[in-house]
Amino acid sequence: MTPRRIYTPGGFSRRSFLKRSGAAAAGLTAAGMLPAWATALGQDETVLRALVPAAPDPTPPGVPGATYSQATNDAFAAWQAANKVKVGYEDVPWPQLHDKMAANFASGVHTHDVVYMSGWVPEFADFLLPFVDDLPAGLVADLPPSSFSTVTWDGQKMGVVFTLSLLTTFYNQAMFDAEGITAPPKDWAELLGIAEQLTKDGKYGWVLNYGETAGIGGVATYWFVFLQQAGGRLYDENGQPDFNNEAGVDSLQMMMDLMKFTDPGSITYVGINDATNVFTNGSAAMMLNWPFMWVPANGPDSPIAGQVGAAVNPAGPAGTASIDGTDAYTITRTSADPELARKLIEFYLDPAVQKSQSIDTGWLPIRLSVLNDPEVQEKSANAKVVLEQAQHPYDSYVTPDFTEVTVAISTEIQKALAGQQDAATTIANMSEQVSAIVARRA
Amino acid sequence: MRLISSSFEGRRRRTGLVLVAPALLVLLGVLAYPIAASLLLGFQDATIAGGGVTSEWVGLANYERMLGDPTFGIALRNSLYFTFVEVIAVIVISLAVALLLNQPSGRNGFFLVVLLVPWALAPVANAVLWKWIYNANYGILNTILLQLGVIDQKVIWLGDPFLALNMMLVADAWKAIPFITLLLLAGLQNVPSFLYRAARVDGAGAWARFRHVTLPGLRIPILVAIVLQSIWALKVFDLVFVLTKGGPMDGTVVLNFLAWRVTFNFLDLGYGAAIANVLFVIMFVLALIYVRTLDPERRRKRAGNA
Repeated sequence: MTPRRIYTPGGFSRRSFLKRSGAAAAGLTAAGMLPAWATALGQDETVLRALVPAAPDPTPPGVPGATYSQATNDAFAAWQAANKVKVGYEDVPWPQLHDKMAANFASGVHTHDVVYMSGWVPEFADFLLPFVDDLPAGLVADLPPSSFSTVTWDGQKMGVVFTLSLLTTFYNQAMFDAEGITAPPKDWAELLGIAEQLTKDGKYGWVLNYGETAGIGGVATYWFVFLQQAGGRLYDENGQPDFNNEAGVDSLQMMMDLMKFTDPGSITYVGINDATNVFTNGSAAMMLNWPFMWVPANGPDSPIAGQVGAAVNPAGPAGTASIDGTDAYTITRTSADPELARKLIEFYLDPAVQKSQSIDTGWLPIRLSVLNDPEVQEKSANAKVVLEQAQHPYDSYVTPDFTEVTVAISTEIQKALAGQQDAATTIANMSEQVSAIVARRA
Repeated sequence: MRLISSSFEGRRRRTGLVLVAPALLVLLGVLAYPIAASLLLGFQDATIAGGGVTSEWVGLANYERMLGDPTFGIALRNSLYFTFVEVIAVIVISLAVALLLNQPSGRNGFFLVVLLVPWALAPVANAVLWKWIYNANYGILNTILLQLGVIDQKVIWLGDPFLALNMMLVADAWKAIPFITLLLLAGLQNVPSFLYRAARVDGAGAWARFRHVTLPGLRIPILVAIVLQSIWALKVFDLVFVLTKGGPMDGTVVLNFLAWRVTFNFLDLGYGAAIANVLFVIMFVLALIYVRTLDPERRRKRAGNA
């Protein structure tokens, strides 16, 4: 009896398939071509890799899900063609960005040319290339000088902030009108008074995401706002904690006093979206928020569309203050073509792209000329407010151990907000913990 | 003859070794190497700087630091509490559900499908689901309890450290119960029915049958469930990350979350690895118990002794 045999054209059998697959995989591996993005892109083009947040966080043109206009997308395609380069994006949800870049940098392998940063420049300064001095003078002159403070470490400017993202006060105009409140609070006393007046019938005067502890947008950074309003600062000239004083205690006491009129769920909200949902549902009258929330808060899906107001933050004893979102682009030291990477960042900062960034995605531009553009100001009525807020202090106090510092401070502040310890004790504990972290850094 | 047999056995073993070598190499690469690297990292002061990971040998310094680190103490306490309570809760509830499903009316496939839904959910999806259930403003839990008159004002389920830890425990138990139930159900179906008949003939009531027939019959499945559930509870991460980020006031920080936070947020790789190693050792001991429990040789001996 003849053994049954399956006919395979060209002698293609399971064994030969395995052999050929193995050989192909070995060949591809040897050529360093296995990563999907490498095979997906044309081999004759230069490739720039960029690590950016996924939409709706601030994304550059060309990222899937970004809502740039067709004209901007066309301009991006034209830029790539003119520079014979393909920009390959890796867009990840914002909360995963830090871990992703930490793992990438730790690997020691080149993964990206351009990397988005948010307060992490000092932390990853060893991996970044100072390039700001090579930017066109006209571009640099059009940027707020203070915007470089959070991207400068050891005297070297490692990045460019691309959106003016300062916390300002959002308020519900309809809730104000119903109570006969004619203007947003100008100082702490007014803030407390209005918050108290509006706290009733299951609604609250204030809401924020006090559940987040780490980094920009954590409860520590909200305290930085009040601290600067009280005339305080986080570090002295020698980098040592400098808040165990009257300004430190007053600022925290203000947050504690405000808790009586704050949505009690605030201590559990870990993201700004959680707090913004409460605000846009009309359950809270005021909050600190980032400029990009202006568009969705007034968007067609928002129950309070057309009722949202933005104002400069209420002043403390030393005046008003804020913090900077520090959304910036940087270039890695491992980039094979840092000049082209810099040109890409220049494209992102082109006035037309900046305008589109503001009008189409809701992220305000950083270029002063674009911020003053009437069309931009019409679309984002909060632009003027943010510009005015930028005239006052907005230090985010970023350091290489920023995350550890903010987690330590936030955890103590949460205890104070929950009524477990008084302001003075909390500030003393915070100072002690930050001192230990700074000592470890040294 | 013996020589031939020995030679044949030798060839057979060599061939076997060659055949399993690729799998062993993969296991060495993906399991043994990271474990060894992590153990070594725990003895170093390692951070991300200067173009890669820089490290310095510090001996037991990371472990000494742990002893004086209040956050590690909180994480260890939370992990042990979480594991202890969850194991008891999951096994008691799962046993009750398994007993119900073992009844003739409970053997409908529909019940099994419904039972498996929580188990089939992706961990992060499960966490997001519970985040909404517990939401202070819009959560369904508050709505239901308010309408039933159980509470007279909204409860901030994740607002108090101890309450938040327990609410997290409920969410994790909900996901764990299906698998443990199936495990115990399989065990129940292996208990010989003649034992129940004999017990009835001897006049044993329902409780006596449960205590003297069912429970002894489920000894091994329950032991396996305890070990497996302990391991799973110890390594909980997704829920903490999505629901509370360890807060409020570090009240829900557990060892796995702390290891992640120290490693990836603080970039303190050595200390993070040391924390992860403590967790690894605990889980390794549990895994050894699990393997010994299921060792067929030991089970045969136990059965023989019985």
